[in-house]
Amino acid sequence: MLAQQYAGIKRDLDEKGIIFSFSGYLSEGILYSLGEALREKMTLEETDGPTVRRVFAVFVEQMQNIIRYSAEKVTGAREKPVELSAGMVTIGMEGGKVFIVCGNTVYNADVPRLRDRLEYLKGLDKDAIKTYYREQLREAPEEGARGANIGLIEIARRASEPIEYDFLEMDEGKSFFCLKARI
Amino acid sequence: MESLKLPATGRTPEVDFDFAQGVLRLSGESYPDDVATFFGPIFAALRAFLAEAGGHPIRFDMELLYFNSSSAKALMNIFQMLETAAGEGRSISVTWCYEENDDSMQELGEDFAEDLQHVAFTLKQIPADGAS
Repeated sequence: MLAQQYAGIKRDLDEKGIIFSFSGYLSEGILYSLGEALREKMTLEETDGPTVRRVFAVFVEQMQNIIRYSAEKVTGAREKPVELSAGMVTIGMEGGKVFIVCGNTVYNADVPRLRDRLEYLKGLDKDAIKTYYREQLREAPEEGARGANIGLIEIARRASEPIEYDFLEMDEGKSFFCLKARI
Repeated sequence: MESLKLPATGRTPEVDFDFAQGVLRLSGESYPDDVATFFGPIFAALRAFLAEAGGHPIRFDMELLYFNSSSAKALMNIFQMLETAAGEGRSISVTWCYEENDDSMQELGEDFAEDLQHVAFTLKQIPADGAS
């Protein structure tokens, strides 16, 4: 029964072309370790350097978005608080392209703004994304934003196709958010 | 002014600021878990150095292979400091190195260079080392 259950999960992942997945609490330390493993795997497969870097760049921005913005967090009270944020990251191959999908819960109150931003990005072509990136690079950080607000633009820029996203409302407080980028 | 030297770590670049010679260099990768903590001392040292009157010409070598979007903001900050100092008469040149075939890093160099008027900016292609 145990093996059957988990074989089922593995089959699901395999069918989606997923070669790498993590679900649970993420931290900067996990980002680093997973990122190294991802790069080693791609380098062993003789993926060219710039592609490895593009995949890695999208991976880092996706992971840092979860760590910063997941609505499910555990934070320690130590001097340098440990921040664990729940989410999932999957990396796979589809039609000869690497894809990265990240998922995490977000507060419903944050959904409209995030949706607007993603929809705007999705509609931009390569040159417009580049121009938008350049503009945002010169902007002061947004109120309450912990990172640069250019993370999503960076993801769209490194992707070879428009980004895909979706929201699923879970209850009156939270939604599940997914973002897919193909490199 | 004393040099600022920081060895590279897994996720922060090597910093080699030889203020006496006016030769500054950032090399490697930058995606620190806390950008403000890493770049804070770099900004402070650079600001103090640029405030010194009548210094040497400055050469800044940017030899970064990868940086995340938060680091990009920090780099923009550095470029703005350099541009201001150059506008006030300091001779400053920046060389942005990127590996051949790495269009992303080449374009990022262009992103930073776009509105520089006083800093002499050069893009320089270097051979790929084969590693990521």
